Amino acid sequence: MNKPDDTFDRQVKAIFDESVDKLDAATLSRLNRGRHEALAELQRPRRQWSHWMPATGVAAAVLVAVMLLQNSTTVDDFPDAANVTDMEILLGEDSIEMLEELEFFSWIDTADMDSDVG
Amino acid sequence: MDVSTAVFAVSCSGTPMTGTRALQKERQLNQFLAEVERRALRIAEIGIRDRDDALDLVQDAMIKLVRSYSERSREEWAPLFYRILQNGVRDWHRRQAVRNRVMVWFGKKPSDDNDYDAVAAAPDPMGRAPEEELSNNEAMERLEIAVHELPARQREAFMLRMFEGLDVAGTALAMGCSAGSVKTHYSRAVHTLREQLEDYRPEQLGSWEGKR
Repeated sequence: MNKPDDTFDRQVKAIFDESVDKLDAATLSRLNRGRHEALAELQRPRRQWSHWMPATGVAAAVLVAVMLLQNSTTVDDFPDAANVTDMEILLGEDSIEMLEELEFFSWIDTADMDSDVG
Repeated sequence: MDVSTAVFAVSCSGTPMTGTRALQKERQLNQFLAEVERRALRIAEIGIRDRDDALDLVQDAMIKLVRSYSERSREEWAPLFYRILQNGVRDWHRRQAVRNRVMVWFGKKPSDDNDYDAVAAAPDPMGRAPEEELSNNEAMERLEIAVHELPARQREAFMLRMFEGLDVAGTALAMGCSAGSVKTHYSRAVHTLREQLEDYRPEQLGSWEGKR
């Protein structure tokens, strides 16, 4: 006879496994493509990060420092760690999409205002 | 080099492998990734509640594993892969938080995490009766919501141990913490989930056992 805990674990695992088994063909296809793209990395020469990383790091640090100093007049106004983290994220490559989205929303706002005036 | 250092280490140079060894390595990696990719996707999806982004995170984790850790032993790949994936999930949440703050700053409504519809995202049926399909989807959605709402570290420990089947040591490697912490997080997660899903078992969930 199973202990209740074993039954719970088995049932939860069964639900999860069921959801894995039921993944649709389009999703499986994307996973398959992603796997092959990852494996293609084996054939590529490793990137020479050391050549450009210092320059990029210094440029980003200078940019952040300038932005922070421009906005700070006293010690009390200096941004906290969370804001610096925000800045790091905003300066990251992945933020381009978010900034494009903001640009789109701004355009929507402008379009709305134009139609209100018209 | 310890694992925490290794995970964040950056490859500085090197040339691609060639010949039989390269083919063997590629076959091993292909087999490993094919074994974990679907569970990894569901684990990431439960963590962020977005299938498209979860697919991107899994692909990123695969690329990083191949690029940086293909030379490691086969036994190390699973914890390393899940460590990369969990880091991706955490970064995703950080970016979402910043994104929402920026949206508020621009006067926009932040995106709603609860917009995700697990039933709509559910895969195609497999020829079962509609009521059985509905019951299974409902069970998964309840479990998914309950797991998603766990504190992040408990969720990670639970999914890695329960869904992926990593042992305590492997989970500790993947989470970057001690085995003792893994046991604590996992135990608390199981306790919470038992309480939350108590009214949903054993009848509904138990009925699945005979069908597997």
